[in-house]
Amino acid sequence: MSATLAETLDAVVGAEPGGAATLADLVTEPVDPGILDEHAKREVRRAILTAVCVPGYQVPFGSREMPVARGWGSGGLQITLAIVGVDDVVKVIDQGDDEGVNAVNLRRLVINTTGAVETTEVDEATVIQTRHRIPEDPLSPDQTLVLQVPVPEPLRGVERNMATLAQMHAEADYARMWVSLYEDKVRNGVITKSTGYPCLVGGRYVIATTPIPRWDIPRLHQAPFLSLFGAGRERKIYAIPPDTDVEPLTFDDVPFEVERTPGASCSLCRASEAYLVEIPPSSFGAADGRWICSDTAWCRRRRSEDNLS
Amino acid sequence: MTPPLTDVETPTQATVATAITEHSERDENVPVLSVRGLHKHFVLHNVDGRRVEGLNGIDLDVRAGEHIALAGSSGAGKSTLLKCIYRTYLPSAGTVTLRSPNGPVELTGLADAKLAAIRGREFGYVSQFLRAEPRRGALDIVARAGIARGMDRETAIEAAAVALRRLHLDESLWDVFASVLSGGEKQRVNLAAGTISPPQLLLLDEPVSALDPANREAALALIADLTATGVAVLAVFHDLDAMDRLASRVVVMRSGRIIESGPPDQVLHHLEGVAR
Amino acid sequence: MTVYDTARDTAGDTSSDTRLEDATIAYSKAPSAGQPVLRVERLGKIFGDQNLAAVAHTGPNAGTEKSPDGNSVVAAWDVSFNVAAGEAFGVIGESGSGKSTVMRAIAGDHSSTAGSVWMQRRDGSTVDLLTMTASERRALRVDELSVVYQDAAEGLDLGVTAGGNVADRLTAAGWRNFGQIRERAAELLGRTEVPLERMDDLVRTFSGGMRQRVQLARALANRPPIVLLDEPTTGLDASVAAGVLDLIRSLLEELGIAAVVVSHDFAVIEMLTTRCMVMQHGRVVEQGLTDQLFEDPQAPYTQRLVAAARA
Repeated sequence: MSATLAETLDAVVGAEPGGAATLADLVTEPVDPGILDEHAKREVRRAILTAVCVPGYQVPFGSREMPVARGWGSGGLQITLAIVGVDDVVKVIDQGDDEGVNAVNLRRLVINTTGAVETTEVDEATVIQTRHRIPEDPLSPDQTLVLQVPVPEPLRGVERNMATLAQMHAEADYARMWVSLYEDKVRNGVITKSTGYPCLVGGRYVIATTPIPRWDIPRLHQAPFLSLFGAGRERKIYAIPPDTDVEPLTFDDVPFEVERTPGASCSLCRASEAYLVEIPPSSFGAADGRWICSDTAWCRRRRSEDNLS
Repeated sequence: MTPPLTDVETPTQATVATAITEHSERDENVPVLSVRGLHKHFVLHNVDGRRVEGLNGIDLDVRAGEHIALAGSSGAGKSTLLKCIYRTYLPSAGTVTLRSPNGPVELTGLADAKLAAIRGREFGYVSQFLRAEPRRGALDIVARAGIARGMDRETAIEAAAVALRRLHLDESLWDVFASVLSGGEKQRVNLAAGTISPPQLLLLDEPVSALDPANREAALALIADLTATGVAVLAVFHDLDAMDRLASRVVVMRSGRIIESGPPDQVLHHLEGVAR
Repeated sequence: MTVYDTARDTAGDTSSDTRLEDATIAYSKAPSAGQPVLRVERLGKIFGDQNLAAVAHTGPNAGTEKSPDGNSVVAAWDVSFNVAAGEAFGVIGESGSGKSTVMRAIAGDHSSTAGSVWMQRRDGSTVDLLTMTASERRALRVDELSVVYQDAAEGLDLGVTAGGNVADRLTAAGWRNFGQIRERAAELLGRTEVPLERMDDLVRTFSGGMRQRVQLARALANRPPIVLLDEPTTGLDASVAAGVLDLIRSLLEELGIAAVVVSHDFAVIEMLTTRCMVMQHGRVVEQGLTDQLFEDPQAPYTQRLVAAARA
């Protein structure tokens, strides 16, 4: 986390420790404020605090213009920028891959403007920003997961009107959500929602779990780490504090199932108990199979451990 | 003035069942129905505001087990009297007192909701016409009338079957929609529904007018049985023969008044050719 | 601003108006036996300028519901009636009479200007609906008070299947078992004579009469003690309407639900209700037993209406 406010003020104004500098002094100082100035950071942090106090509630915030286009992680980026400082180690992944173009860009932005250090190893990171995946490695209570969210509203498919949506969340009236699950099952025999599956947080608010796959949903339930969800375009922040119940919405007699392909395993590290993605046989050069781990860092570490053992 | 019924509940199965006490258990000396000074006039606001007289002071008692036939030419006020008692018409003056488990009830002053609650339960009205959902079967209609008066489902269906058989309604017609029945068939269903598990007082308004002679016989026999079980009956019939057979007393009306009252053989003799 | 009136119900009501700690909701702990389940007291609704002075210039005597300055409509005023448990009560009138306004006031579809609507809840307590918040009234609509609208699109989600529309009410009441939800929906739709093979069709593809049947199934899903029906068969073909009317009557009888039936159609009121009231220009003109109102109407307006209906 960032240096204490007092230390920062001292550094800026050059006053004696304990002297009375003001936030105004801080703001007018000529040091490059980076992409997100302190006012904006403060607003984001306050939104985060509210979100943590009311798990699952979508807190509106004044989303700033970011050097990434709307819909490309500007919300997650603002959260990360608001909470990291020179002591932080940041990992950024996109679809589980540290080397995806977007992940690389975002990581560069964060590192260059905050003085934090980058990593691809989960156990070194203090903050992990992600789109679409939760890392396979278990996270600890000291780590924070920041998720990029395109559509934060779980009821978006069943209701358009903003006032009605606010009312539905306020009254915990999720009947329309249940109806859409019912219709899904009736039409398709199963509930087909695959990513962004709606979940009940802390027994109160229903959230959209961003585009993370079903595979990752059970890992949110009673997790030891903090998860922060940022939607820049929609201007909402919500949170799942550690040790919170997260239950995917489903009928009592329709168990929640995660994705599985029987018999599939990663062609690089042989893992079968991980989220796998399919690749066309011609583009990779793998000798056998068309599946690899989505979490590239995890897969790489498994392979290096295999080699060592 | 008798106090009105207090705290009358909407009839549930249990309350209706307890209300249907055997008629013979009640105090024989108190008339089931007691009409005093009943007047009825109509004001036709939309014609020229004229006033039409219906009843000009009726005093009448009906006791358990009595069958009182109302005779007189049309316009005499026979149906009007029945409707004033049932309160389909609002009496203009006078009282209508009904014997009830909670004591006598004065019907003209009773609140609508309470009256609706005791109609069907304490006294019934059987008109000429069947008023029921067109798509219900005859057996269903009659059985439901019994259930509404406190019978359980099995007993009601059985009693309905017995009644329909008695009135010679062919079993093949028991399940067809009542709307497709003939006039005479409908009237028999109506009569069966009106008299199943009967209340202490029945008002009959030309209940066999559409029946051919054979069916009429059966219907009159059924009505005769009512009085045998202690039901008080006040009836309007078209024909003298029916009145002669059923009535314990004939009351002759003209221009809204009772002009004569006595046993059938005495009164009807005078009315030959008049009360058509 | 709600104008309260403490006029006693003539049917021997013994409720006492004791305010609980929560002063925002008016409760009355009254014995439930013999109590009406719905008691409307001097209900009033003015649209537009909330100008109470307009009341004196509107009504049957003035021949209009609109105020002289044209800025207010006294859609309903001084409307009082009771409905007993299991009883069907009719509200009859021509357009502009205020009958739909009264229904919507009870349903909570719009606010009211004056009066009280006392409803007996499942736990036996009585509450004035007009003192509740919109949230609380919405919660009532799940399983204590249902509405069937003239336009089925208002009471249904056309983009959802017939079964889904019923499932909506069940899940709102907390049902979470898919199999049971489906079974109950099928049972209700069967009871309202919607063909089983159409249970999974979007309601948008249904005819008017079928839509009303789905609306009925949905309204009855959680067995509410009270249902409001607003012109339930208006706009349907005669033969279709007859079937729906039949169905409503047998459902009301079988389930012992208290109902308020609003209609301009005498046949509907006659078939479904035991007591009713006639409204004109926002006021109650006459009230009584349905058969008495139709065969021996007292008020000139009622006589006119009945004569026209019989013609």
